Amino acid sequence: MASSRAINVLFLIGLLLVPFVWDSFVAYQLGLFLLYGMVGQGIGLCWGRAGFLPLGQALFFGIGAYVFGATLKSADGSGIVLVAGLLAAVLAPALFAFGVGLLVFIRQIGSGPYFSLITLALTMLGFQLANSMDWLTGGFNGMTGIPALPGTDTYETLYYVIWAALVLVSGLLAYVGTAPFGQLLGATAQNEERLQYFGFNTALLKAIAFAISAAVAGLAGALFAPHQGIVTPQAVGFLLSAEIVVWTAVGGRASLIGPVLGAILIGFMASELRDSFQYWEVLIALIFVIVVIRFPGGLWSLVEGLARRAPSLGAKRARERDIGIEKSRTDGPVDLVFEDVELVLGPVRILDKLSFRIETPGVHSIIGPNGAGKTSAFNVLTGRLKPTAGRIRYNGSSVGGLSRHRIARMGIARKLQIPSVFPDLSVGRNVDIALWAGDLTHSQMFTLRPFRWTTPLLGEMQGIFPFLGEADHSAGSLSLGQRQMLDFAMTCLTQSPLLLLDEPCAALSSSETGEMIDAIEKIVALTGSTAIIIEHDMQVVERLSDHVLVLNQGALLANGAMEEIRADPAVRAVYGGGSK
Amino acid sequence: MDLVALQGLNFVYISLTLALVALGLAVVFGLLGVMNMAHGEFVMLGAYSVLVVQNAGLPFLAALPLALALCAAVGWLLEFLVIRHLYRRPFDTLLATWGLAILIREIVEASFGRDYKSIDQSLPGTVDMFGVDYPAYRIVLMALIVVFFIGLLVWYSRSNTGARIKAMVSNPALATAVGINTALLARGAFIFGVCMAGLAGVALSPLVRVEPYMGLDYLLSSFFILVVGGLGSLAGLLVGSTVIGGSDAIVSAITSKTGGYMTVLVISILFLWLRPNGIVARD
Repeated sequence: MASSRAINVLFLIGLLLVPFVWDSFVAYQLGLFLLYGMVGQGIGLCWGRAGFLPLGQALFFGIGAYVFGATLKSADGSGIVLVAGLLAAVLAPALFAFGVGLLVFIRQIGSGPYFSLITLALTMLGFQLANSMDWLTGGFNGMTGIPALPGTDTYETLYYVIWAALVLVSGLLAYVGTAPFGQLLGATAQNEERLQYFGFNTALLKAIAFAISAAVAGLAGALFAPHQGIVTPQAVGFLLSAEIVVWTAVGGRASLIGPVLGAILIGFMASELRDSFQYWEVLIALIFVIVVIRFPGGLWSLVEGLARRAPSLGAKRARERDIGIEKSRTDGPVDLVFEDVELVLGPVRILDKLSFRIETPGVHSIIGPNGAGKTSAFNVLTGRLKPTAGRIRYNGSSVGGLSRHRIARMGIARKLQIPSVFPDLSVGRNVDIALWAGDLTHSQMFTLRPFRWTTPLLGEMQGIFPFLGEADHSAGSLSLGQRQMLDFAMTCLTQSPLLLLDEPCAALSSSETGEMIDAIEKIVALTGSTAIIIEHDMQVVERLSDHVLVLNQGALLANGAMEEIRADPAVRAVYGGGSK
Repeated sequence: MDLVALQGLNFVYISLTLALVALGLAVVFGLLGVMNMAHGEFVMLGAYSVLVVQNAGLPFLAALPLALALCAAVGWLLEFLVIRHLYRRPFDTLLATWGLAILIREIVEASFGRDYKSIDQSLPGTVDMFGVDYPAYRIVLMALIVVFFIGLLVWYSRSNTGARIKAMVSNPALATAVGINTALLARGAFIFGVCMAGLAGVALSPLVRVEPYMGLDYLLSSFFILVVGGLGSLAGLLVGSTVIGGSDAIVSAITSKTGGYMTVLVISILFLWLRPNGIVARD
């Protein structure tokens, strides 16, 4: 990481020297590519990090260009007007993108084709509007006669302004990427649903990322206006949007500088070859297809690969966890009520008037044959599925129909059956996300202090699971058993009053199962929380819990202490003669 | 009165042609779950087939086999090289087909140029319909589309292949287990989908602007039709085409083309927001 930061800095310094090494005309050309590269950096934030692809980024570029172009034409050298115009050129696209993003992302279908096609449609609409609104944009012929940025010469010194903007944007994006916000965005791309069970509003996170990318595009567009002296509808159009996506991909969408490199290289090659080589665009399209499918790292990963052979500049230093925090939702009493809950999917009745109440702390077990509705009960409780009928109340308030992150924030934490950690993040970052759950404010997402958070429970946890201490290991490299344990530890670290553990011992060896049982016992006793576990292994159930719920065919079959359950003839009938 | 008849005919015409254009995407996206960003480019290939045939001095109908062969070949290659590896990875398919769309567009642009091409009207003249003179080609086209859709509906609901496709869509693993070759079936459905796009391109070529970037509009309107109508059924496709085509035609007539476009976009976003499964939800 340290060496890649050094390359980024060297690259930016190198750009500053271009007017001296070559001439100011090269720098003038380069300035345009740097502006496009900035737009690409914004796309990189959305696509490379958060995992959704905006296809209409030129819309924001164009809005910035028109707004600031109009400002320059009417400012008459007034500083205040210029600053206000620049702010509008940056903020208007950001607010618009935020609104569109939130609207689309709140629906669960948001990240894939739906988002991309809507952004594509918006840029097509923008092009039509720019073309038809002559009185505002100059129509087809464009907004012409835009004066130079006051205090600069378009062909000489404007380059330095653009360079400064690029440095500013790069620094900002680097910081945002390192801060908790960036880590959470990465986690969203890896497992959005899991992050929602930690109480994070992922739609909001993605909408903010989209807004940041739009703000960057707006800033680039604002500088485009004095650079070109004219803004035509092409600046909002589909073609430019698509080209910038191509440059971003070829340069390296997951890196900070890659999109800029892509814009510079393809930009200069295009101006050399476009007229002499008829199939130039075909070649670029072909390269794009190959890069997208085979080399997602793009050109920048080659640069970094070379740099890795050079001696590293300073070793990476893990941050000390030295800020003790108090989790806000400490473990209070729990009162969970299922009242005639029904869940019908198509012709299948999964939950059939399921009713029960849990109001004592400790470990409660849900058992039942396959298809009894155990996991479905968790699903309707945590917002994964919406109950068809009936009521679920948690500490007096209704849960039904709320979104996952809201339910999580009420103090319900869930571990899924398949261990779900964030594989591309380190163990330490995974732990961070659990510690942040429910307590990280929006402003703290943009500071570095939350990486130093710790709680007394984390200390206990590291005692139980020593591998948690190796914070720099990637979570994806852990064994299946360790991932189960990490997932369990993360669920507990939220310190939610109610813990839902779906088969915590699945896929564990017998010695690991023993460790896990001990851990569950210890943590629940320590925190005084209420845990509900789904388990098939009767020995585990017997050791852990004094209260057992038996589900069958989506309804409660029996409910009581283990001995009562064993004696119950109905349970015996379902289990074909009793437990193993 | 004549105006009403004329607008009514236009309304039916727009809805039917849009349904034909969207049919291919309804198969590929609605049934296979593959967001084919190159859908519009296959429509474009169909239209350019007509141009090639016309330049060679052959009759209009000769474009049909050419377009079908071309789309089938490109579709097969695409499925074989890219799509079949990505059936469960919607985001990667989006990217790959987006890249291929650019590639197809650039190849056509490099070979035929950027400018608009004009396609000769092969069936000139008008027919008297409900008291208005309506272009004969449009009348014939509407009739053919209706016949084609009825045939398709009958075939899909009666044939073995239709039943196999439904089995594959609702449970691919089980379908494989009972002996359905889902890999082959998916490939067939994909190729059928892109061929339908090409067919639509042939049919519409005399009536629309033909240029390398024409596909984008068709991709977007097809997508919006599926969003509004719902995935997975022919009824949804027809309802979606009527809503999208109708609102576009009405608002465009009253205000401007941009107004119509904006209306379609707003309606689609509202549907995504309020009724994400569309008007005719699957099952």
